[in-house]
Amino acid sequence: MGNVIEINGLTKHYGSWFWKQQIPALDQLTIDIPEGAIFGFLGPNGAGKTTTIRLLMDLIRPTAGSALVLGMPPSDVKTKAKIGYLPDSPAFSSYLSAYEFLNICSKLLGIPSKIRKDRIAEVFEIVTMTKHANSKLGGFSRGMLQRIGIAQAILNKPRLLILDEPLVGLDPLGRQELKDIIMKQKADGANVFFCSHILSDVEKICDHLGILFEGRLLCSGKVEDLLSETGSRILVKPGNEAIAKQLMPEATGSIKLPDGAWELVFSAADGLEDLIAGLDEKHPGKLQITPSRENLEDFFFRKIDNEKKLQ
Amino acid sequence: MSEVMAIASGTWQRILRMQVVYFLVLCVLILIGSAYRYDVLSLGMHKNLMVDVSLVLNSIAAILIAVSITFEIPREIREGVASTLLSKPLGRTHYIVGKLVGISVSGIVITLLIALGFCLVFSTAFDKVGMSMIQGHLLVVASVIPMSAVGVLFAVFVPDSLAAILTALVIWLGHSASITTIPVLYGGIIPDFNLFNLKAEASYGYTIQWGYVGLVILWGISFAVFLTSISTLIFNKKDLK
Repeated sequence: MGNVIEINGLTKHYGSWFWKQQIPALDQLTIDIPEGAIFGFLGPNGAGKTTTIRLLMDLIRPTAGSALVLGMPPSDVKTKAKIGYLPDSPAFSSYLSAYEFLNICSKLLGIPSKIRKDRIAEVFEIVTMTKHANSKLGGFSRGMLQRIGIAQAILNKPRLLILDEPLVGLDPLGRQELKDIIMKQKADGANVFFCSHILSDVEKICDHLGILFEGRLLCSGKVEDLLSETGSRILVKPGNEAIAKQLMPEATGSIKLPDGAWELVFSAADGLEDLIAGLDEKHPGKLQITPSRENLEDFFFRKIDNEKKLQ
Repeated sequence: MSEVMAIASGTWQRILRMQVVYFLVLCVLILIGSAYRYDVLSLGMHKNLMVDVSLVLNSIAAILIAVSITFEIPREIREGVASTLLSKPLGRTHYIVGKLVGISVSGIVITLLIALGFCLVFSTAFDKVGMSMIQGHLLVVASVIPMSAVGVLFAVFVPDSLAAILTALVIWLGHSASITTIPVLYGGIIPDFNLFNLKAEASYGYTIQWGYVGLVILWGISFAVFLTSISTLIFNKKDLK
């Protein structure tokens, strides 16, 4: 199985040639996105996610490094016929109706005129915007524009869907609908690469993810591998409150259960395995230790905190 | 080619849907028609005056249309509309050429409307429209193409307000006789838009050879191709929002 995106040492510095002041936005990013993946690209604001997407769409030019999208450089115009792209804050020609805009997009995508009308009607149906097809885009709300953005991105039944913050501006129902659309696209054979701040949604729909921080990639891989049983859950049996209190400073969470037992959660950290082994030896029979899977939110914040501590 | 036409159609749809454009055309035609009432003030030269006024006003309309593109392209880049379009199989050169074609077609339609309106007013007020008048208006219509190319050039690398000022300045200098003494500048760096000016000939009914008209139109198209090549070179290097 090949890679749909291959990024090698991609670097982007913004700045004015006149003042020679360069602001690094992306630093030596190297990552491969395998075929068949839904890849979630995470990171705080200014991490370089949108810069990466713009480089992949050839909207900006790299300072160094290279990338291949569907096996071709981002500048290859013909490859874009196989890509669907939703920009960060979708803005379209406000004087056009939604139908007219999608008609222009379908002409650019080379969709044959015979099927153009039917395909546009189909995508309007998918994004539940059929009744607004003839309304001017200038009067649309953020959520409606987001839906039109998704419609234009899936118009060509893309092999690769690149979505920049697709869930922003949508109500909970809209978010669920979009997640369903993404899953449907994947089922239809599309690869999805998207960035988002909504970690719970990313965790639900992604099978691969990467975390970017200040232009550098902190980690990437399969979600199940990254979030595998990296933490531990320790049940301190009733009547051993002193042991529970002793452990609390090291735990990331603690709950007292109705029967008087304590449940303590330890996230993945250096020395966790030694700590657990030592506890088991010290308090035989009083503790029940089970491995726990970290959620994406905890994993994300831990990675970012670790990086901040290292700086 | 279909990509260029898709971009062009978006541009002319925008301009030709603006009600203010038709209001301006109407105002221009009223002003042209009002020249008929200046028979006493113009010492009986109101026929020549109407021809002169029609060509001046049509040229101003052409300039306004050319300047309007300097707002269109930077706005599309700033708002991210250009990025969405360029994420489709559309080269940056096609985008720029599409914009030039769109604004040129809009300008040609509007200046043609004014020219036809003038012909109607003139033939109603006086007699048959002369060939020199048709030639004069034809060159005004054709001047939209190189002037739009000037607008596109500035629109791709300077902010919209500055692009509008620079475009208007270059067009004004191109029409100005004050710099004709500097050959490198006039007709060189600054285009010679006076080639499109047949006001005197049209007003006094001197018919020009069609060969001249053809050559001027050809020069206008060649100049537009040259400027558009520079515009695409700059636009291809540009980072887009």
